[in-house]
Amino acid sequence: MTSATVKGFTNEFAKMRQLGVVPVGSALLLGVLGLTMIAALGDPSFAEPRTRSWLPMLGGMSMGVALMSPLMLAVLASRQVDIEHQGQGWLLSATSGLTPGQVCRAKLVALGAVVAMITIATNVIILGVGLALGVPAPPPVGHWLAAVSGALLVSLVLLALHVVLAAKVENQLVGLGIGVLGTLFAAFASGLPTWLAHLAPWGYYALTRAAEYQGESVVLLLPSWPSLLGLAVVGGVVFALVTGRLDRQEV
Amino acid sequence: MNALLAELIKLKRSLSWPVVVLLPLALVVSAVVNTLVSGQPLEDGWATLWLRSLVFGGLFPLALGVGTLASLVWRVEHRGNNWNVLMSGPTPTWRIVVAKGIVVAGLSAAMQVLLHLAVLVMGEVLGLPGGMPVAYLGISALIMIACVPLAVLQSGLSMVLRSFAAPIAVALVGSGISIMLLMAGLDAALVSPYGLFSRTTQLGTGTFLDDGSTSAIDVVMILSLSVGLTAGLLAATTWFINRRDTHA
Repeated sequence: MTSATVKGFTNEFAKMRQLGVVPVGSALLLGVLGLTMIAALGDPSFAEPRTRSWLPMLGGMSMGVALMSPLMLAVLASRQVDIEHQGQGWLLSATSGLTPGQVCRAKLVALGAVVAMITIATNVIILGVGLALGVPAPPPVGHWLAAVSGALLVSLVLLALHVVLAAKVENQLVGLGIGVLGTLFAAFASGLPTWLAHLAPWGYYALTRAAEYQGESVVLLLPSWPSLLGLAVVGGVVFALVTGRLDRQEV
Repeated sequence: MNALLAELIKLKRSLSWPVVVLLPLALVVSAVVNTLVSGQPLEDGWATLWLRSLVFGGLFPLALGVGTLASLVWRVEHRGNNWNVLMSGPTPTWRIVVAKGIVVAGLSAAMQVLLHLAVLVMGEVLGLPGGMPVAYLGISALIMIACVPLAVLQSGLSMVLRSFAAPIAVALVGSGISIMLLMAGLDAALVSPYGLFSRTTQLGTGTFLDDGSTSAIDVVMILSLSVGLTAGLLAATTWFINRRDTHA
């Protein structure tokens, strides 16, 4: 990274102070926590301390991430990018040495760091709640980490999508509308056949579920890494191409 | 009246219309696709189709739609110099607030009409037995009324918060919290426009908070809460904007 890109990255954090990232991020965190607890308390085995297990909590966490993230990521990206349209920020950055493509990449890295921190905080709290409730078995650390990293990967791809969308289309209705439709798709994706879930990035949340009900009992799942890797490669290449084109366009 | 006419002119070229059309269609189509791929038939015919489109929509997607409409209706005022023009004109604040509220509520009502029609058409296409129950007409009318306080609240949020996205995020969080409180048995959460709206979409379906029978008490409660909340929110919005200004 050159010093200009480092500067661009720290600038994005300065911009966040006025953009309500804290309330939106807290909403994401609390929403996932709330849905996790609803799922856990809705499981009859959770009422009795001796039969309590991590699995309903993990399943609830995956569901919460899939339901909350699509819209909240769209909101975070839209706000972070819209100020450049509103305040002629593209031109200002370009004249001070940062092309629009570099600005977009800085925004993705900065927002990605925020989303990663929210993800870590959410899961640490869930772990704490589980320990405080005295879940007898040790937490399934391997499955947990795998599911969380998989879901984070999907979130980062969605974030990249929304950053370029908000940059290319000035009307923020488009990005937010896609976020709403993405929420619908993510909500249904876990019930769809796997090949259908592969058709849009929101469906990939369904491939990262940590646990699901099979009949009466909950079983642990591992993310399907080849699909996620494919999504990451496609998302990364498209983001690189679009931001590369932004670099060569006149502002 | 002039303020309302001005708002209607602004609607002519507005991007609201795609939202009004696309969201109901997306809800009904996803209900049907979901039914087809899950392999579970619409065991109760019209009731199941209505449930999977309307009640799911009422949990949060329709509130997001109303929020998006409100953001769109206010967005133009936050651009360029328009805010100063709007606030320095001779039109009293309350008229602007009421006119915007009517427009957002009207667009939301149009969304509900389309949703109703989409369920009707989809049910006929699928060949569901019997006609669509007539009672659904009344429930749709009640949903449109219960949507008015929600529209006024989102309109107020979009007025105060200059951002396009923030009020929509508030709608998601507000819906989630209201439903959680209602499910936890706290009926007082009906004073939240999000809760009232969700509750109304569940009328007669026997899901979530509904026991399947719609009593006169339910209807009177929904109507009176809608009227009271609308009046209160309109007054609060006007009071706020007369004393404060918006900020990013």
